[in-house]
Amino acid sequence: MSKETKTYLRFDVARRIEHLLMILSFTTLGLTGLIQKFALNDISLWLVKVLGGIETVRIIHRVAATVFILEGIYHLILLGYILYVQRKQATMMPGIKDATDALQVFLHNLGLGKKYPKMPRYNFTEKAEYLAMVWGFVLMGLTGFMLWNPILTAKLLPGEFIPAAKAAHGAEAVLAVLAIILWHFYNVHIKHWNWSMIKGHLTRHEMEEEHGQELEQIESGEVYVPPAPSVYKKRMAIFAPLSAVLSIALIAGLIFFITFEDSAITTVPPVYADVDVFVPQTPTPMPTQVPTPTPDPAMANTWDGGINSIFEQQCGLCHGNNGGLSIETYSGVIQGGDSGPIIIPGSPDASSVLTIADPANSHPGQFTEDQLEKIRVWISNGAPK
Amino acid sequence: MKENKFLNVRFLPLLLLVMVVLIAASFWFVSPVAAQDGTGDEPSNAACLSCHAEASTPMELPNGELLSIQISVDNFGKSVHGRNEVSCVTCHVDISGFPHPENDAATIHEYKVGYLDTCAECHEEQASQTQDSIHGMLLAEGNTNAPTCMDCHNPHTQPFVDEVSKATFAQVCAQCHNGIYEEYSNTVHGSALINEGNQDVPGCVDCHGVHSIADPTTAEFRNSSIYMCANCHTDESIMGKYGISTDVLDTYVADFHGTTVTIFEETEPGQLTNKAVCYDCHGIHDILSVNDPNKGLAVKENMLAACQKCHPDATTNFPDSWLSHYRPDREKFPLVYYVDLFYKILIPTVLGGMAIFVLSDVYFRLRKRFQKPAAESVSESKDVEKE
Repeated sequence: MSKETKTYLRFDVARRIEHLLMILSFTTLGLTGLIQKFALNDISLWLVKVLGGIETVRIIHRVAATVFILEGIYHLILLGYILYVQRKQATMMPGIKDATDALQVFLHNLGLGKKYPKMPRYNFTEKAEYLAMVWGFVLMGLTGFMLWNPILTAKLLPGEFIPAAKAAHGAEAVLAVLAIILWHFYNVHIKHWNWSMIKGHLTRHEMEEEHGQELEQIESGEVYVPPAPSVYKKRMAIFAPLSAVLSIALIAGLIFFITFEDSAITTVPPVYADVDVFVPQTPTPMPTQVPTPTPDPAMANTWDGGINSIFEQQCGLCHGNNGGLSIETYSGVIQGGDSGPIIIPGSPDASSVLTIADPANSHPGQFTEDQLEKIRVWISNGAPK
Repeated sequence: MKENKFLNVRFLPLLLLVMVVLIAASFWFVSPVAAQDGTGDEPSNAACLSCHAEASTPMELPNGELLSIQISVDNFGKSVHGRNEVSCVTCHVDISGFPHPENDAATIHEYKVGYLDTCAECHEEQASQTQDSIHGMLLAEGNTNAPTCMDCHNPHTQPFVDEVSKATFAQVCAQCHNGIYEEYSNTVHGSALINEGNQDVPGCVDCHGVHSIADPTTAEFRNSSIYMCANCHTDESIMGKYGISTDVLDTYVADFHGTTVTIFEETEPGQLTNKAVCYDCHGIHDILSVNDPNKGLAVKENMLAACQKCHPDATTNFPDSWLSHYRPDREKFPLVYYVDLFYKILIPTVLGGMAIFVLSDVYFRLRKRFQKPAAESVSESKDVEKE
């Protein structure tokens, strides 16, 4: 293999899997989070619908958050291993060289500086991104915890921290997603396609451009020397139990985080209405029927003595003046209606009232048999007033 | 020409005969309809009222209920039907004289139900809206407490709706919903309407509609209820008079509850959400001023009690997690304000810095590409030099 086509291993499989987990959880978090932040946008609403509704979106967001935090815990333990057991350099620590590298690259880009820096294993673009990631991880974790457990948060802190956490969580998300698109995508995919997180390797040319210092170290034979087995054993004797305890504690913390609180009732809240819906008002009473006075038998056979009340009861409903007939007064009855007199004093057979108001007839007002007989007698007597 | 002449002369009498027969036949078919519409045999309003004006004795129905059959000539004359000269038999189509057909309704409710189609003859739109409303549905289920047209509109006294005041409308509802009416009449809206005649406040129909009254227990009603309140509460011309904020909807929608409810409204309106809508905190009919000492939400204890309905474990600080319809500023909720401000500065700074750097790299690469031929020749010459 010639020098030019030689490739340099940059990330082993475990780191690539880590990165893949990050891609999946971060993308899911970003997608399901931003559609909540910009909820009323048409695209958001469409996505919410596609994903099965806002409550489902929130569950997906929380599952992704759990994966994201698990990956963070793993990374923390891994860092412990690298720094304590392997005693490798903390290659992500920023230093003054990173600032000068950045300046030199910038000036070089503009054609103002001739010198292009030889950069370390992680150059300033990568350190900036990694450290921003760590900052974002902590901030999103803390604010996410507050939003996930608002009751507990309000027990420990002023209530205002919750909307503040929401504001920070949303704004930080926008910053993170845009930074990934602008910075990460440009540097790793657009500028040239960097295969190191997929295939694991960088070409010599890429190494020269982005990690000149590391390349020099490799070529000068400056390689990492793993600790002697006895030293390794000693360190592991301390690291293994510590990391186990720490992992368990962190995972327990995570489980606490995601299951601690039932913030709200899951049913629809009870409503205030403490009165029944159907409470009718007392209806206006109907006019009660006027009781018919019991006619005095002695007076029964005169108009004023009871005949008038029979007429009023049976005919009065209509014959205020209907058909030209008024039964309200004695003279009205004697006078009759449009079709002539209804009573011929002395001759009941000629008096049409007896046939009209006969119970056998279909006239609305009808005398009872008793009343009919009384009126027949009254007419026979000459219909006295 | 010949044919025309033939037609004209020969068949003219026949044509005339056919026409006469057709015209006569049309009269034959049309005449019964004409008789129904015209004066014919049907009784006039005067004929009906000659009895029914004074018929003070109500009719007793089989279940013992008394059905008034007395019509006040004065009130009928003032009613919308009276003023439009609707005749009695327009509605009482079964009556053509005396004696009247036998009444077969066992109860007043049944009697009124029997007239639903009669009202629909002229008031089709209202009738169909009512049919689809909660009242119509209950009626269709056979609920005898459900109102028919006549329970709200006495056809013999119904005034022009334009002449009915909001407060009177509310009293119509109160006939059956008196508990709610009593509750409403003591609230910020109800007392203003009933005691002061304030027309800015909502009466029953402003929120519930008139004929198309929806079931208020559905998800659709719940999810869209926020716009029902917002309808007035975002209207500066009304709210301005009372110094009430019109930001209430925007600030609600910006918050977790409001965002969720709005998303539900947009994406799954038929699904119930447990996130609070206006009435979960402010009350339904018993809405009081936020400054009311007993229930007003401006009082922290009251607010906490409102929170605890959905968040039973909420403690003293919890209500402050809701911004109370304020937009955070330096005085109100400074922490939220400064977090927002921080990111308003941080985001453009970080992204701007990145963008400048990225652009510088783009510039470098473009320059390199366009200078490539020159560079090649240079390198060639370099190679030559080296040799």
